[in-house]
Amino acid sequence: MNSNDTSRSALELAIRYGFIVLLCGLAVFFSIYASGFASARSAVFIFQSVAITGILALGVTCTLVVGGFDLSIGSVATSALMLSAYTMVILEQSAFVAVVVCLAMGALVGLINGLLIVKMRVPDLLATLGMMFLLIGLQRIPTQGNSIATGMNLPDGSVAEGTFSAAFLWLGRHRFDLFLDRLLPVPVVVFLLIALIIWLFLGYTRHGRLMYAIGSNERAAGLVGTNVHRYKIVAYMISGMLASVGGILLAARLGRGDIASGNNLLLDSVAAALIGFAVLGAARPNAFGTAAGALFVGILLQGLTMMNAPYYMQDFVKGAVLVAALVFTFYLSSRRGGRRTA
Amino acid sequence: MLRREFMKLAVAAGLGLSGSGLALAADMPAPFDKPEDVKIALVRYLSTGDFFQSYLSGVEKQAEALGVDLRVLDSRQDAALQADMVDQAIALGVDGIIIQHGLTESMKPAAQRAVEAGIKVVAFDVNVENDAIPQVEQSDYLLGKLALEQAIKDNGDSFTAGYVYVPGIAPLDRRDVAWKEVKEANVGIKEAAMFGTLDNPIANSVANQARSVLQANPTISVVFAPYDEFAKGVKIAVDEAGLSQDIKIYSADVSTADISAMREPDSAWAATVATNPAVVGEVSVRTLALMLAGENPGKQVIVPPTLITQDFLNEQDVKNMSDLGEKMPQFQHADVSTAEWIPLPKR
Repeated sequence: MNSNDTSRSALELAIRYGFIVLLCGLAVFFSIYASGFASARSAVFIFQSVAITGILALGVTCTLVVGGFDLSIGSVATSALMLSAYTMVILEQSAFVAVVVCLAMGALVGLINGLLIVKMRVPDLLATLGMMFLLIGLQRIPTQGNSIATGMNLPDGSVAEGTFSAAFLWLGRHRFDLFLDRLLPVPVVVFLLIALIIWLFLGYTRHGRLMYAIGSNERAAGLVGTNVHRYKIVAYMISGMLASVGGILLAARLGRGDIASGNNLLLDSVAAALIGFAVLGAARPNAFGTAAGALFVGILLQGLTMMNAPYYMQDFVKGAVLVAALVFTFYLSSRRGGRRTA
Repeated sequence: MLRREFMKLAVAAGLGLSGSGLALAADMPAPFDKPEDVKIALVRYLSTGDFFQSYLSGVEKQAEALGVDLRVLDSRQDAALQADMVDQAIALGVDGIIIQHGLTESMKPAAQRAVEAGIKVVAFDVNVENDAIPQVEQSDYLLGKLALEQAIKDNGDSFTAGYVYVPGIAPLDRRDVAWKEVKEANVGIKEAAMFGTLDNPIANSVANQARSVLQANPTISVVFAPYDEFAKGVKIAVDEAGLSQDIKIYSADVSTADISAMREPDSAWAATVATNPAVVGEVSVRTLALMLAGENPGKQVIVPPTLITQDFLNEQDVKNMSDLGEKMPQFQHADVSTAEWIPLPKR
């Protein structure tokens, strides 16, 4: 009985802290073997490289919490990228208008997703898959498939005179001073703020707890008087708006409206959210885990790049981490006394 | 007397005019004497992105100038579908087919079927291993070569370089040949790091990688990024690291967005080498037209690239692609696969 107890608590510890230990171990490993890895600036650009996928991943987390899934986030992000460029370069509007228009677009897409799922009873994967294709096509219609940049020729023969305003580029390029000059980029600050807000919202408010309740048993949650439909729609709207935020930051960093399908953004952010299941042995979607998961992938990729590892190595490693995380979540957690097998 | 002379002159002039008019129509060899009956098909493998959009516009403009009927079949990166589309074009009874990109394995038999059906075929940037089919190419090797020659001219023949490359992509592989050659010929050029990814948005992913590479290798002073999305990504990283004065970027391809990036104050993007995709599109159609008229365009039709430096863009105040075409006539039109009787698209 005694030995059984110790092995049990060892397993418990492994599940709870294994991932965090792995994260620290990786950081130490790269600090020793990759020159230039151990520095404040390095740490910051690891955050920067995961900020956008991290923000998208937090959106996915919200839909995972209510037992749904949002496949459209990648294309919402690239649609916001195109829309912000279109608003500023072709319609010659201000940064403020561009941001508001993009957020409204994200919320609208989320609302439509939610209504399709809740009212039309379309399964979540299928509804958001449809939305994904729709948006990939839609974002290209206004410019006939061309990227948007100042000085481009418009279909009517004139030249686009608008520019990305300085205030908008600030969102992607400005750096706040923190110990060092120009250290902390805006997207990182936005990412950390959103992670904090979503973490507090999901874990510490009544609304967040009800969303978890819907995710684990929709019927039971409904029977005790939760407005299941409204919460589900809200989850998709949060997801859509966060994806839009990601797209806006991407546009501000790139400084032009590149056409892109956003599939890589989708896959990376879903991976981050799933890896997040394993952090602290939560075995369920959670904002802290998602942020840590995104960071984990970021550290790996940046470290490998510094060591001159080729791109296919990086995909391989990303996949291996994801599989390991899923084993953590589903196998080890189920052995922990069948708390949940999902 | 005088009046008679006048009459004669007028009549002669009239005859001459109508004569030259007649000559123009007669000069069009069959089947272009009745161009509206000529049907050609463009069978595409790649279509998403500025390059392919611009290529298509070139094909459309040249087809319009000739007055032929153009059908566009787009397989959107589906190799099997692209082969089916060639068969579809054969069934449509087209006179000529342009195959734009694709895989040798899937296109070789399909192209052979088209040739057997008596259809003239031109291939752009895909080798279909068929003697009856001329290859239109933008010379990727020359693209890389010219960019590197400019890099050596600007930086001398010994520097530490970063190189952006993803193996297995045909045009990048051909540009890689030039890089390997230049490295071999100049022992002073040291490749400190090789990186690259095609995760999209490509510029953003490459920027993330380049940040790490520049951090890990502070001695890098030149980056060879032979694809404009790569160069854009490296430029973002260089700007973010505050190194825009210390690093020079050499790339290939150009677009309006690239021009503005190159012209930003203190831009690290020193030069790019490009072929105008619209011109390549026009050349593809002209090559097909030559074949339809029974002429021989040659086995390989190469559209030469043009070097575009930051200094040139600034001196000439070039703002977009159409400015570039005006200031650099060799970018607007390639004297390849031309004939007296082929009308060029209006500029």
